[in-house]
Parts: sequence; structure tokens; C-alpha cells
Amino acid sequence: MGGQIYRMQADRARFKEVVRGKVRRDLSKYMATTELMGRQGGKTVSIPIPSVELPRFRFGSNEGGVGQGDGGEGDEVGDGGEGEGEGRGAAGELAGSHVLEVEVELEELARMMGEELELPRIQPRGHKTIETDAGRWTGIRTEGPGSLRHFRRTFKRALVRTIAAGEFDPENPVVTPIREDERFRARKPSPRPDSSAVIFHMMDVSGSMGAEQKDIVRIEAFWIDTWLRSQYESIEVVYIVHDAEAKVVDQNTFFHLRESGGTKISSAYELCLDLINTRYSPENYNIYPFHYSDGDNWSSRDTERCVDLIRDELLPRVNQFCYGQVKSAYGSGQFKSELDTPFGSDDRLVTASVSDRAGIPAAIKRFLGQGR
Amino acid sequence: MVRGSSLPAHLLEAAELAESVASAAGLTFFEVVFEMLDAGDVNALAAYGGFPTRYPSWRFGMEYERLARSHEWGLSKIYELVINHDPTVAYLVRSNSFMEQKLVMAHVFGHADFFCNNAWFAPTDRRMIQRFEQHARRIKEHASQLGQDRVEEFLDAALSLDTLIDPYGAQRRLRAQGTESAGEPSNDEQPARREGRSLVEESSARLAALQGEDSGVESASLEAPSAAFDSPFDVLGFLAENADVEGWQRDILRIAWYEAEYFAPQRMTKIINEGWASFWHSRLLTGGLLDASEVIAFADCHSGATAAAPGQLNPYKLGIDLFRYAEERGDDIFRLRAVHNDVSFIDAVVDPEFVRRSKLFAMEPGSAPGRNPVVGTRDAEEIKGRLLSQLAWGGQPRIRLESVQGSGQGKLILRHEHDGRDLKLDEAGVLLRTVGRIWKGPIELLTQEGDEARRLLFDDDELSLLAA
Repeated sequence: MGGQIYRMQADRARFKEVVRGKVRRDLSKYMATTELMGRQGGKTVSIPIPSVELPRFRFGSNEGGVGQGDGGEGDEVGDGGEGEGEGRGAAGELAGSHVLEVEVELEELARMMGEELELPRIQPRGHKTIETDAGRWTGIRTEGPGSLRHFRRTFKRALVRTIAAGEFDPENPVVTPIREDERFRARKPSPRPDSSAVIFHMMDVSGSMGAEQKDIVRIEAFWIDTWLRSQYESIEVVYIVHDAEAKVVDQNTFFHLRESGGTKISSAYELCLDLINTRYSPENYNIYPFHYSDGDNWSSRDTERCVDLIRDELLPRVNQFCYGQVKSAYGSGQFKSELDTPFGSDDRLVTASVSDRAGIPAAIKRFLGQGR
Repeated sequence: MVRGSSLPAHLLEAAELAESVASAAGLTFFEVVFEMLDAGDVNALAAYGGFPTRYPSWRFGMEYERLARSHEWGLSKIYELVINHDPTVAYLVRSNSFMEQKLVMAHVFGHADFFCNNAWFAPTDRRMIQRFEQHARRIKEHASQLGQDRVEEFLDAALSLDTLIDPYGAQRRLRAQGTESAGEPSNDEQPARREGRSLVEESSARLAALQGEDSGVESASLEAPSAAFDSPFDVLGFLAENADVEGWQRDILRIAWYEAEYFAPQRMTKIINEGWASFWHSRLLTGGLLDASEVIAFADCHSGATAAAPGQLNPYKLGIDLFRYAEERGDDIFRLRAVHNDVSFIDAVVDPEFVRRSKLFAMEPGSAPGRNPVVGTRDAEEIKGRLLSQLAWGGQPRIRLESVQGSGQGKLILRHEHDGRDLKLDEAGVLLRTVGRIWKGPIELLTQEGDEARRLLFDDDELSLLAA
């Protein structure tokens, strides 16, 4: 026995290829749904694959079944049941179809997305590369604790010495290492470039941003995170929401909060700048602020303030500043053009407008297509 | 006789004891060989349908992932695997307790007796381990010559047709040969078989012509089994012998047909086979194989296996209940296991008293989408009718060849024998495409949506749904 196990490795690998092919083919579909959200584990995302099975002639749903148990006519058939014990695994045989969930590594997903959208790899800014001492036990030295003694090297030294001294007797090959023969493993420093990044997701949660607009924002944020995570060793994400005032929130709040009120965009930018100055120094971080709103702002005075903040304070500190304008029924949609005019030629500022879910991949490509 | 080279002494001893007790109770079987497996390997082997060497396919990988996931989440655990073969091969899982191993062994002797004595298994190939190896080798050869992608694509196409066979075909061929089978199989499909006679004759003439042809693969030396197409329901067999395909493709179609024929009786005897094995493990264990200290653990394990989950029919439970009820009623249970499949077994045994005792009910859809189904009528006739139609034809829609128009690659017309249950038309369309690519001509499927007749046509790479 055992042969089938090796074979299974190959069949599993092939299955994963088939799944990846399917995910890749349908990637733009996944990129327009909230389906993958909340399915991330640590390093993987589980993707539901509904139709990887072979097509068959099958019955539709107008099939009446038979059940077993107590209950009067019209009672609901429970799905829990108490004390069922372990089944033998065949009980579900007569039941219907199933959706298979496949774990795909986030890295893998990011790579597919990169290929699909033809995203360039990000070149981290040079001076932000920190040398970390990721030492490995590949060195040898003559001193060290007994626990690190390298037996083979030690024995070899002893053998060489014994032979050189003419004391080696092939009939009685006893080799006794002495203190000078001992060799120990040592850590060899191997500097490795390490780069860190911080993402700021800033979202307008004023009254005019509806549920659909927020969904678009969170889908975009998910894919942007996925991509940037694949590009950096370590990454931090800061979520900021604002109406007339801005505050830092956790991920869950970011995606579910509904506020209403006016809109003062500069409040978010100021908070972002404040965090950069106090916690995420441009010396140590690649910085990516993303701001999403429906393009409505409080006043043209505040818009001017925003332009000043971006030009004088933010752009010099960040890799790239992105603004995504989500179309809503209420928003005026002015803010994007008010940013485009002063910064038209500056490629550190990227703006995109998203009118519906189908527009998400294009917006992401605009944001991440520069490889900054 | 029991063999089990990989068994430790105490298990071998238990197996020998189980065998002598089973024989004394009247069970008969081929030689039974027990093998030990690790829990991880058992999922892999189960994904391969119990056979160590199968052709390469991602579908086995998928099945493995499903089993492994479900095992990991504690949803299911495989205690045993047993395959219909001579000798009968059974796999024990190393992590089972001694009591569980004894239970599994008794259960295995039940299956072994069923495989050996049930009429529907009489025509099956009992040397299938080697046959599967041979199939695997041939498909690998094709892949090495033509590339894996091409072969895999065609294999997937062939396998998606593997329900389009006549599950009663093998039995009929066996009887036509005049071979003595262990019993008289009941015939619940008689009327449908009469039609299409001329088609059968025409095709067997073609088949004879084809047999002179060299199919390109060294089929003679490898004994490529040709599909013995002789029934209008055997669409896969028909395509294997009559479609205008390359030699390697015909070989793959024949392999798919042969393997489908082998597995067909298992689909048709799920309830009666599991019921028979559970009936015997329960009787043999409580009849002396158990140590007094093991009774509680046995009861726990047995009731887990035969638990009725709400909204599902557990074949173990339904099967064992049927045998116990039949025995109580004074039926000859050995004869029941010799002649029946699930459908005819239920037809023979289920009566109002059984429905009442087993608390069966008709299930109706919930009050709203997403709600649980509700308990419907407990009327015995209705319930029995539902069970029968659910299980008839191995639970598959009945599709038959209606006609072949034109002498060359004319239009192929399939008919779905509508019994009140509609087909999933979108999926049927995909499958029609598959058939069309193999047949290389127009394909039509006649079916119904409710009471409306429908015609699904695949022609010139176009799929259309028409009123008929």
C-alpha cells in the first residue's frame, strides 16, 4: 500500500490548478462582489466554487423528499437535532448538491489579480529599506557552548590531527578530539531588506453615502489590501471615517458604520497627516492614503484647504495619494475634478471615479497601476 | 477463509472469529482480505472509490479535499471501506478501537455476503483492481502521447456521461447468456425496454462492423472492453461504439462506460446493502462477539451510524429497519437480499405499518425560501411512491436514445422520460454541448418543464430551447 498516497498528491495538485484556473477566469466577477469579504483567515481566503463539478443531467428542485422523525403536519423539520452521535459519513448520500470551498492563499490571489489587471510590482522607495539582521546558523567558529558543537567538523579536525601526528592506527581507529579540535555552529548575519507600509483607508460616511456606495468602498479596500500585502513584508492598515469630523475606527466599524451629517474632507486629511507625523514616519514606512467619497464637500473653502494639505503636507511624505469618487444619487461629484485641476500632471496623486461595481477593477488598476 | 497480512495478531484472531460466526449464521462470501490503513490514507483511498490505482484526474483530488475537510471538521469519519471483488478486500482504519474493528469486521462480512449473493452484482467484474490499473495505464499512455490537457478534457467529457447507461443492462445481458444468477432479479423497468428495438438492431449491426476496425490503441493486446451497447438507455455505450471519434477517444469512452457499469449496482443497492451489513453487524456483535465491557461503546457507535438526521434518510437506518421488519413479518431475508435492489426491496417490504413505525413523512418545502422544510403527510401510499421515484433508476433522470436520423452523423435525439420532476435545463444544456462535441452532429433533447413539452437543441455550436 502507499502508492495511492503519492498519486493523490498529483491529483490534489491538479485539482488546485483547476480551481485556480476557475478563480482566475472568474476573477473580475469576484472583484465585483462582497463574497470574499470576511473569508480571510491568516494567510488564506476561502473561495466558494459552485460549479467545478462535471455537468450532468440532474433533477431540478421540484422533487418531493421523504423524512423521518416525530412531528405533526406543518411542523418545521429541525436541522440541529440533539445527541445524534457520529454518523458514518454516508448519511448525506441522498441529499442535494454542495458548494465546495477552496482555500486560496492571499499571495496567490494577489498574483492572479496582478496578472489580471497587469499590475507592476511596487518599487519601495530606497531609503525606506531597513536592513534586518536575519541571521542563520551557517557559520563555524572555534568557541561556543557544548550544545552547539558541530560533531562532524570536530571529529574531522581530530582525525586530521591524529593522522598528521602519525598516531592513527587503522587496526584500532580510535580518534579522541581535544579542546583545539572542537568546532561550534555560529550565527552568520545575513542582512535582508525589509520594508514596511501603512495604508490609510479614509471614507466619507456622511448621509449621502448609501449602503451600495459603502460596499463598493469595502470591495476596493479588500483588493487593495490584498495587493499591497503581497508587496510588503509587514503592513499596517488604519481606518478613518469622517463626516464633518474625522476619527480612527477599527475594521469592523469602518465597514458597517452609518453616520449622517455634513462633509468636511479636510478633517480626515488632517487626522491622516497627524498620524503620519506621530506614528508612521516616512523614514520607516511606505505610505498609501486612500480616500473614498461621493465627491461632495462642505464648502469650497474646505476644498481649498484639502488641496493645500495634499500638495504641501501629504504628497511629500507618501508614496502615492489615491482618491476614489463613488457615484451616489445625492453627491455632487465635484471633488474629483477639483483635485484633478491643480494636480493634473502630478502622478503621485491618482483619482478615479467608480459609478458601479463593474467599475471597481478599472479603479483598482488606476490606483495600483503605477507601481509606486 | 480470512487473510490479512498487515493485521496484528489480535485483529487477525478477531477476524477469524467473526468469519466463523458469520458463516455459522448462514452468510457466504468470497475470501475476505483485510488491510490496515492510516486515517489519512483512508480518505485518499475512499476518494478513489476504494481502488488504489486509478487514472489521474483532478476529480479524485476534489473528492479527497471534501472528505479530508469533512473529517477535519468532525462531520464524518470513515470506519471502513470494502470493495466488491474476488477476493473481497476490506480496509480497516488503524485508529479504530478494538470494539470498532470488530464491528467493522462483522459489517464487512455482511457486505461480502451481499456482493457475493445479490443478483445485481452477479454480472460485475470481480477482478476490477487489475482492470482499474489497466485503465490507468492506458489513460496515462494517451496523455503522454497527446498531452495531459487534451486527454483530461476528453476524459471529463466522457465521465460527465457516466450516468447515461442502462443500470439493468448488465443483468439482462447476463441472463441472455443463460448464465445462472443467484436469484431472479425483479424487473421494475420492463415496459420502457420494448421500444427502440430497431435502433438496437441497427446499432448492433454497426457495432459488428466496427469491431473489424483498428481503433488505434493496441486494444487487442490490452483487451479493451468494448461497450456492449444493446439498450436505448445506454447512451454512453452507444456513443462509445458509434461516434466518429479518434481511437484514443473511443478508448476513453469505453473505459468510462466499463467503470460506470461496474459502479452502477452499488448506486442501486445503497439502502439494501448497507441495511444488510448493519443488520448483521448488530446481530453478530450482540450475539457473542462483544465483550460485556464493550456493550455501551458498541451501542453508541451503532446508534451513531444508524441515526436519523432530520430531513435526511439515512440508508443505514432505513435498510436495517426494513430487514428487521421483514424478518419479524416472517419473510425470508436471505432471499430478499439475493433478488432485490433498493427500489424493488422497498416495494416489497414497505407497508403502512412500516411507515408508521419508522415515523416516515413526506417533506414539503418550507414556508419561505431559506426556511426549513416542513413535515407533510404521513400517508403510506404517498410516502412509498416518493421513495420509489426518488430511488428509481439509481436516482438519475431516465434519458434514452429516441432515434438517430440519417445514416451518417445525423441528428441524435434523446428523450428524458419525464416523471413529474423537471431537469435542470441550464446544466442539461452544458451536457448537450458535451454530447454534441463527441457525436459531431446536432443533438436534441426532448423533455418537459412542468406540463409543457420542451426541446433543447444543440446544433452548429448553438444551444436553443424550443417549445416542442
